[in-house]
Amino acid sequence: MKMHDRAGIGWRPELASGILANLDRIDVLEVIAEDYFDHAARLRALKTLARQAPVVVHGVSLGMASTARVDGKRLDKMARVVNQIQPESWSEHLAFVRAGDIDIGHLAAPPRTSDIIEATAANLFTAQAAVGSMPQMENIATLIDPPASERDEPTWLGDTLNCANACLLLDLHNLYANSINFRLDPRDFLARLPVERIHAVHISGGKWIGDSSDRRILDDHLHDPPDPVYDLLAELAANCPNSLTVILERDGDYPPIEHLLAQLDRARSAMARGRAARAVAIPSRPSVSERCAVLEAAK
Amino acid sequence: MSHNKTSALEHFLARLYVDGDARQRFLAAPATEAARAGLSQEQCRALEKIDRVGLEMAARSFAHKRARKEKASASALRGWLRVRQSLMRLRVFAAYLRRTDTSATQ
Repeated sequence: MKMHDRAGIGWRPELASGILANLDRIDVLEVIAEDYFDHAARLRALKTLARQAPVVVHGVSLGMASTARVDGKRLDKMARVVNQIQPESWSEHLAFVRAGDIDIGHLAAPPRTSDIIEATAANLFTAQAAVGSMPQMENIATLIDPPASERDEPTWLGDTLNCANACLLLDLHNLYANSINFRLDPRDFLARLPVERIHAVHISGGKWIGDSSDRRILDDHLHDPPDPVYDLLAELAANCPNSLTVILERDGDYPPIEHLLAQLDRARSAMARGRAARAVAIPSRPSVSERCAVLEAAK
Repeated sequence: MSHNKTSALEHFLARLYVDGDARQRFLAAPATEAARAGLSQEQCRALEKIDRVGLEMAARSFAHKRARKEKASASALRGWLRVRQSLMRLRVFAAYLRRTDTSATQ
């Protein structure tokens, strides 16, 4: 099967002019859904943008990996954005962001328990009913190994996705950072994921924090993806049976657009490298014309 | 683990992530604080072994994100106020133009 791998970038107002001037070098744009929740004018502008380039929608505030039921009002807002824009797909995170009256303010890793898996699946089915399609769910970066967990992260991700029959938006820098922070082998982590459920990928960068006795990687989206992330992308492409859409995430310290476009090219090269390795490992079935040519030659 | 117990654990963790005083109390006596929050013995035992370095790092990172969000929404509000102010000035100017236009034709 011919793969149609793509590389795109997260839409940020600071990058707008650079992105619009280079749409021929960007295959797809990812927009943050919450930026359009209460802004009719922005949503109209986004509709215009979506006519010029393929768009996917990414949510950051639903907090669906939780025993708390997903907030109906937020889901309605998400549904409005998705219905108006008609993106190729929408996605969220396997994280909780609030509990009771406490708003954590960002994505937190839940305890990896059976309860959370069941509650997450229930939230995903609710989201699917409200929005009209199942979100792709992203693995998050965490600086703390969530206490009282019954499973390690690769097992928990696989079990959750199976329970909800959902796809994984694989963030390779999150995978890499968690592997380094909690002493897992990133390649082993990747090999244990349900590769048939992966169609979308995030890449980004981070920085080291902490002292020499316990250093960890903070996924801050302010740096270029490190080399191991591209190696993991090539490895994923070598094993994944689906076409992949890679999004480069950058949330600040913006370099010139050419620098970011070069990273998209690097992602495309990594995927091509992986696909070439896959073609060697799994020889493709010859086409009809190739088979006819062989038969002709044999006559 | 029951659904309610897991929910209580989520709430307890969220509090540790955002409340520095609660975090200090917990780090001084993890099992006592966890039991006080009504968590199960199993959860209390797990929290005694919590990744302390990771907890502090995560709490700092969450605080940073919250501060950035507040700053972003304040700057969005300032931007919106500037737009509103400009529109008001335009309206005043348009009214002035209408007045001068009317007096000129009289």
